[in-house]
Amino acid sequence: MENKEIMIKVKDLRKEFRKAVKEPGLKGSFKALFNPKYDIVKAVDGISFEVPKGEIIGFIGPNGAGKSTVIKMLTGILTPTSGECCIDGKIPTENRKEYVKEIGVVFGQRTQLWWDLALRETYMVLKEIYEIPEDAYKERMAFLNEVLELDDFITSPVRTLSLGQRMRADIAASLLHNPKVLFLDEPTIGLDVVVKDNIRKAIKKISEESGTTVILTTHDLEDIELLCKRIVMIDKGKKVFDGELSELRRRYGQMRELKFELKNPDDFEKLSYKKDFSFADDDLSIDRTGGTVNVRFNSDVVTVEKMLSYTLSKVHVKDINVKDADIEEIIRRLYLGGGETDETADSHL
Amino acid sequence: MMRYIRLHKIFIKQDLKKLMEYKVDFLLGAVGFLLEQAAQILCLGIIFAGIPALCYTVDGVVVDSWGFNEVLFIYGFSLIPKGIDHLFFDNLWGLGYWIVDKGDFDKYLTRPINSWFYVLCEKFCVDALGEIIIGIVLIIYSTLSMPAQVADAINWWRVLPVLAVMPFAILIFTSIKTATAAISFWTKRSGHITHMCYMTNEFAKYPTKIYNTFIKTAITFVLPFALTAYYPAIYILRGESVWSLPVTVLVSLALFGISQLIWYRGISSYESAGS
Repeated sequence: MENKEIMIKVKDLRKEFRKAVKEPGLKGSFKALFNPKYDIVKAVDGISFEVPKGEIIGFIGPNGAGKSTVIKMLTGILTPTSGECCIDGKIPTENRKEYVKEIGVVFGQRTQLWWDLALRETYMVLKEIYEIPEDAYKERMAFLNEVLELDDFITSPVRTLSLGQRMRADIAASLLHNPKVLFLDEPTIGLDVVVKDNIRKAIKKISEESGTTVILTTHDLEDIELLCKRIVMIDKGKKVFDGELSELRRRYGQMRELKFELKNPDDFEKLSYKKDFSFADDDLSIDRTGGTVNVRFNSDVVTVEKMLSYTLSKVHVKDINVKDADIEEIIRRLYLGGGETDETADSHL
Repeated sequence: MMRYIRLHKIFIKQDLKKLMEYKVDFLLGAVGFLLEQAAQILCLGIIFAGIPALCYTVDGVVVDSWGFNEVLFIYGFSLIPKGIDHLFFDNLWGLGYWIVDKGDFDKYLTRPINSWFYVLCEKFCVDALGEIIIGIVLIIYSTLSMPAQVADAINWWRVLPVLAVMPFAILIFTSIKTATAAISFWTKRSGHITHMCYMTNEFAKYPTKIYNTFIKTAITFVLPFALTAYYPAIYILRGESVWSLPVTVLVSLALFGISQLIWYRGISSYESAGS
């Protein structure tokens, strides 16, 4: 990226929630009513990062990691307990109204469209809310129309749209005022492969043509691979990785998952991967339920080919397949990796 | 300010379009509301069929009394500021019942307009027109059917200052709803608190003198619905309680200030909901 202007700056961001502790059952609820006890939950625990203008950054982590909380602080919905976040020099807690003019937000699970009205009406209202001049609005609509193909359903009531159409409509709604930063919280959740692909292409095109900085959260590794050069991974409210995707893949992405079903479940005894290949503890894990066996292994240590032929030579299987490690798996590995992650995180700042 | 007025118009227009999409729902709502009002007025009628007038006595001596027509007038008048608030600012109810609890408040915070205004004007509650119309009908009917000496006491010029203070009376309703709805930012749900406070306006439809000091003070200063109903109405009828007009302005502004304070404090405690 030739333009290294910093668009988003997050420094030591923290958010704590006070959570009532209740004993189970009705009795516990009554107790809590008269003698409430609270736990402090650190949802976001000192996160810092910067995003240059025009970059698409993937924000990942398991459920409950604090991703949404960070996004909600960055979009001005939640007030941070401490720390700061600022977009293009503006701080949400100081002047929310000015701040949100610079951003567009899409929450995949929740629509911002006017549910009972024709889609076009939503855009008319947004035009007024964001005070978009007529000619800029027309130009922008034409562009979004071309990229997201809204024409087919722009006169339909929002409640009649399919999930894929609704998502396209929602993305267009968040971009109408040409924001500097676009937040996409799980934009491909629940969509079929073709629609996912269209949406990814659209996001890419929009970012390239309008220079929009995009922060994307997702559980779909493909979203990340196709869109983001850089990812920030968080877990338990802390940043555990910040760097290029290729770096993550190189370091943690060599895990493969070998899944097969045994014809005779007792054959399992015949397999001893650990002993025969001398895997280290980190490089191998085996789950077994009945005849179904799930072997996760590091393909740098033993190639997929070897693992397959070894397995097939020892036992008879009904079905077998090999998969890339998914995000959850990489995160799990990152945890086993422990200390070195902090170093990576710091080196990127 | 002009921008907000324009936006409000647009929101109302959108909501009317929505109404056209759900005609049956609207009709049922309107019919239900008419039945509710009819039942209440019937109730008043039954009570007054048994007694000649509502009296306030001290040691068995009648100090003050109000005839059926006067009570009906006060009742009708009370529906007007209440109805106008209901018409424009009904969405606040949703805040305490589900908007905050479900995390739907997120949407109001990601737009470059005042969040309170956005919540307030998003819904246009046409049902409330019924309330306002019934109020006007009751005022006209009760005036026409008044005994001569009661009607003679009315000075219609007094309507002007009452109209001037009307926006502040409406503000009392809106502020109480705002303050109680904003409690949900901490408690997640506060619809029932709003309901409880709102319903005390039922007391304000009757002469305050019939209540004990506690209720009287409460509905004059704490949840000052009497300032929106009994006091202005009795001022029109008899010229009594002139003091209530400036007090309405002051009390409503104070309430508004408090409600805004709670609102903005609340927003910074808003926790959204998991997604």
